[in-house]
Formats: sequence, structure tokens, C-alpha cells
Amino acid sequence: MSCIKVDSLSKSYGSIKAVDEITMSVKSGKVFGFLGPNGAGKSTTIKLLTTLIHPSEGSLTILGIDAIKNPLKVRHKIGVVLQQPSYEPTLSVEKSLEKYGMMWNVPKKERKSRMEKLLVDFDLTEFRKKRNEDLSIGQRRRVQVAREFMHDMDLLFLDEPTAGLDPSARRKLLDYLKDRVKTGLTIFFTTHILTEAEYLCDEIAIIDKGKILAIDTPDALKNRFGKEKTIKIHLLENQQEISSLLSGIPDCKIDFNTGTNIIIHSEKSELVLMKVLRILSDNGIKIDDLSAVPTNLEEIFLKMVEENVSNH
Amino acid sequence: MFPIIRLVNRNLTISINPAFLLWQIIFPVIYIFIAGFAYSSLIQEVPFGTKGLAYPAFLASGMIGFNIMNSTLVSGIIIWNDRKYGMFEQIMSGPFTRPHYILSNICTIGIIGLVSAALIAVIGYPVFFDSIEFSLVTIPLIVFAAVTGSVLFGSIASIIATKLRSSEGFNVILNTAFLFFAFVSTAFYPAAGAPEPLKTAFYLNPLTYLVDIIRAGIFGEVSELVILEMGILAIIATILFIIATKLLTKLDF
Ligand SMILES: Nc1ncnc2c1ncn2[C@@H]1O[C@H](COP(=O)(O)OP(=O)(O)O)[C@@H](O)[C@H]1O
Ligand SMILES: [Mg+2]
Repeated sequence: MSCIKVDSLSKSYGSIKAVDEITMSVKSGKVFGFLGPNGAGKSTTIKLLTTLIHPSEGSLTILGIDAIKNPLKVRHKIGVVLQQPSYEPTLSVEKSLEKYGMMWNVPKKERKSRMEKLLVDFDLTEFRKKRNEDLSIGQRRRVQVAREFMHDMDLLFLDEPTAGLDPSARRKLLDYLKDRVKTGLTIFFTTHILTEAEYLCDEIAIIDKGKILAIDTPDALKNRFGKEKTIKIHLLENQQEISSLLSGIPDCKIDFNTGTNIIIHSEKSELVLMKVLRILSDNGIKIDDLSAVPTNLEEIFLKMVEENVSNH
Repeated sequence: MFPIIRLVNRNLTISINPAFLLWQIIFPVIYIFIAGFAYSSLIQEVPFGTKGLAYPAFLASGMIGFNIMNSTLVSGIIIWNDRKYGMFEQIMSGPFTRPHYILSNICTIGIIGLVSAALIAVIGYPVFFDSIEFSLVTIPLIVFAAVTGSVLFGSIASIIATKLRSSEGFNVILNTAFLFFAFVSTAFYPAAGAPEPLKTAFYLNPLTYLVDIIRAGIFGEVSELVILEMGILAIIATILFIIATKLLTKLDF
């Protein structure tokens, strides 16, 4: 069953198309990752899906409910951790969890037991009596994420939940989320960190400039681009004419960041590399360093984003 | 209804703290007794309708109006903090609507205003004692004043809170506005003796109307002027409430 169904959804701010006709569908009981650089439109998408803002165009069905017609009905069934911090500065950690449960109409007894469990699960017991305003940014983020689990939900939206967390807290949170998904929760998760998306998500959408560039499983994304290799060549001296020398080589994409660094993406890397080396030696250009590695997901991601930029 | 009650519960939890109680209840009560009796030697009697009021009784009744106004600061502070600390978005992404949020704020300041005004009335009772004239309209008039005053000043505080993002700007403007309302009014001294321009200024101030209505209720002098003041207060409150609601509804995320 589809938990989220989005069709040609757009949101414009003046002339900026923050979200540009995205279409996707998210399956129940899975983690769906939304991956993109800063300003890609991740937060705007989350705000649209959580009914905080109205789309300029398109349709939106969340948990089988038309979210544009019945936003409140949707909000009763979802949890949301937004990108920006959210807390009651003067309340203690435990009191803010307790009150949040109250706001969600969780019975008092249940609130208490959930709170105790979350304090442990999120390593918050140590400062449970501390006021939120006295916590560090990372501690506060943990409280914010933990707080959302005070209430029941079918679908949870997390907008860069690991921002501000140290590596161990980050890993703990991802593992906690994995556990919750096993109990039937669906998660919509945004990040600009690829390894995170790879670790947690069953499906990943790559988004940039408001457009979805690809949607697939992490493995399929790798397979699709996996034949490709990245060749990096570092020249000893700056060579201004290098781009025209190499421009005739087929089946590859070459970047010349500076006059000394050449980065080549190609699915026929051996052939391309031979041609490049011949041209370099014919012209007496010396190589300082050379490496060829399979393109990882990070580079696929960067490449897609770059191509998207150059298409504009 | 229940979502509003849950939000009121949360509002009261975050608003009520020792500093607030000091400012809202202890300080006014002390002021009534100290200033009330200290100034009595200067102001023997305040003419009021057909009778004269002892200054402490005049001051205590004015303090109730001032207190109702003051409690609406809470609504401005809640809205401003909720935006600054991301709770507005959080609440709006939960099982609540903007009308829930707005109504819960009004209920919160209504409760704080009524409870603290009642406490002041009870503690200040000895100073009213002589002049008080309970009638059928006493309680309705005070409740009318509390509700209309809460909506009116709550809307002003909320408009300021939605318009200003910086902490300095918000505090300075809110406090200046409320200080002006407090001192350019008949809450603490009678309009009768004041020079003409100041007297006019008194009657450009909704707190004057609020206090006049409360006094009319407590001391049993409901004149035509008071009825006119009730009408004006209700109209201003409605207009400001509509503006405040519009602004809150338009707030972007
Ligand atoms: N309220 C707003 N008003 C104007 N522009 C906005 C607003 N919110 C977002 N944007 C713009 O929309 C684009 C996408 O922003 P956002 O969704 O926050 O990206 P991300 O979360 O992926 O970093 C950016 O160019 C941003 O400047
Ligand atoms: Mg974002």
C-alpha cells in the first residue's frame, strides 16, 4: 500500500520554484530517503507533505487521505520533526516530553511510561531535569526527536534529524529508527548526507533545484551507475591547453577543475584511460598521480546534481 | 473543544512561574496597600458619579483593569516565543488548527486575567469595603470587561508579536505600548483633575474604558457614558481581533 502519493506537486515562492512538479509514491513500512544538497527543496517538500504549507499545484494523498482537503485529519496520524529546532525553553527535558504527550492526548499513565523509556533510548536520563535552554544543540535535537515518539503515528517525517549530532549519537538514532520501522512505522527522511541515506533507506529520491532526478533503491542506484568508474589524474604542471587536447575522446565526461586536476567519468574507463595517457605522453605532459575507482553513490549524487545545474 | 483545552494547559504551564506571579499578583496587591494609603493624604476623595470614592478603593478597582490588560502580555510572549523557538510550526503540524491556537491564547489570558483580578479583588476587599455596591450587573460587567479587555489587549500584543522578529524590538515596543496604556489612563488617577489635553488622551486609551466599566460594576454607577464605552470597547476589540487573526493566519513557515 502507498503511504504517500504525490502527483505533480509544486510550490513557488515568487519566481523561485522551491518544489517543481514532483511525482512519487512511498510504500508503507519502509524508510524513504530524500537526498539533496542545501536549497534543493527538501524542507519545502516536508512542509507540503505535513500540510504546513499549501502547494501551488498538484495533488497529495497521505495515508489514503486527500491532504489538501483534509489537512487536520492527516496531521492526527503523522509525526513531524522539522529541520529547525523546536522546544519550550523554560521547561525541563522530562516536563517537555510529558507536556508534548499531553498535547497529543496520550493518557497520563502511558505518558509517564513512554517518557521513561524515551529518556533511556535517547540517552537523556543524565539531564532529564535540565531546562531545554541549557542544553547543547545536539542534546536539544535528541530531545526534539525523542519527543515525537511520545505519541502514536503511522508515518513520521524527519527533516535532517541528525544535524548537530555527533557520530555515535547519529548512528544510535539511525538504529533506533530502523527498529521502529520493524514495528510497522513508515519514515520519510531527508538528509544531505549520502552514507546516512544508504544506511537507513529502502528507497532514495535524489532531488535538486526542486526536481527529482532519480528514485530507486540504494543498490539499484549503484547498479545503474555502477559500471562507471572515476579516473582522477593529477598533472605535475599546470596545462591550460589540456581541455582542447582531450576534447575528442568519446564515451566519457571530463572535468578540468584547475589546470592540473583531471576527473574523468566513464563506463569504458580502460579504453578512455589508454587514450588519455597516449595524448598526454605525445604532448610530453607529466603525470603526478593517477587513480581509478568505481564511482560511489556520493559521486553519482554529485554528478547528477552537477548535471542538473549545467542543464539550467 | 478539547484541543483548545490541551493548548491552554500547555500555555499555562509555560507561562506561570514565580517571576510572573510576583509581577501579576504580589506587586499589584502591595501597590494597592502602599500607594493607596500613601497617596490618601494627597487625594482625599475621587468624585465618581453621584458619590465620592476613597483613593485606595479607586486605585484598587483601577488595578483590576490594569491587571486584566497586563495578563494579555502573556499572549504576546507565547506567540513570540513559539515562533522564535519553533513551537508554532510544531503545533501547527500536530493535531491543531490556527483557530485552536488563537482561541487557546485568548482563553489563557482570559483565565489569567480573571483569576488574578479575582485574587486582587479578594485581597483588596478591605479597601473597597466602604464604597462597594453589589448589584445584578456587577459580575456581568466585570466579566464583560475581562473578556473584551483580554481580546482587545491580547490582539494588540499578538499583532506586535507577529510583526516583530527581533527580541529587542518586540520587548521595547510591547512594554512601551503597555506602559503608555497604563499611565495615560484613569487606572491610577482620576481624569477629573487632569489638564484638558491629557484628559483627551485618557479617552483615546481603551484601558480607560475598561477601568470605567469595572468601576461602574463595582461601585454601582452605570451611566450612559459607561454603556457607550462598552460599545466602543467591543467594537475596537472586534476590529483588532480580526486584524490579529488575519496576521496569525498569514504567518508563513
Ligand atoms: N518561505 C520561503 N520564501 C521564499 N523562498 C523560500 C522559502 N522557503 C524556501 N525557499 C526557497 O526554496 C528553495 C528550497 O528551500 P528548502 O526547501 O529549504 O531546501 P532544503 O531543505 O533542501 O535545503 C531555496 O531556494 C529557498 O531559498
Ligand atoms: Mg532543509
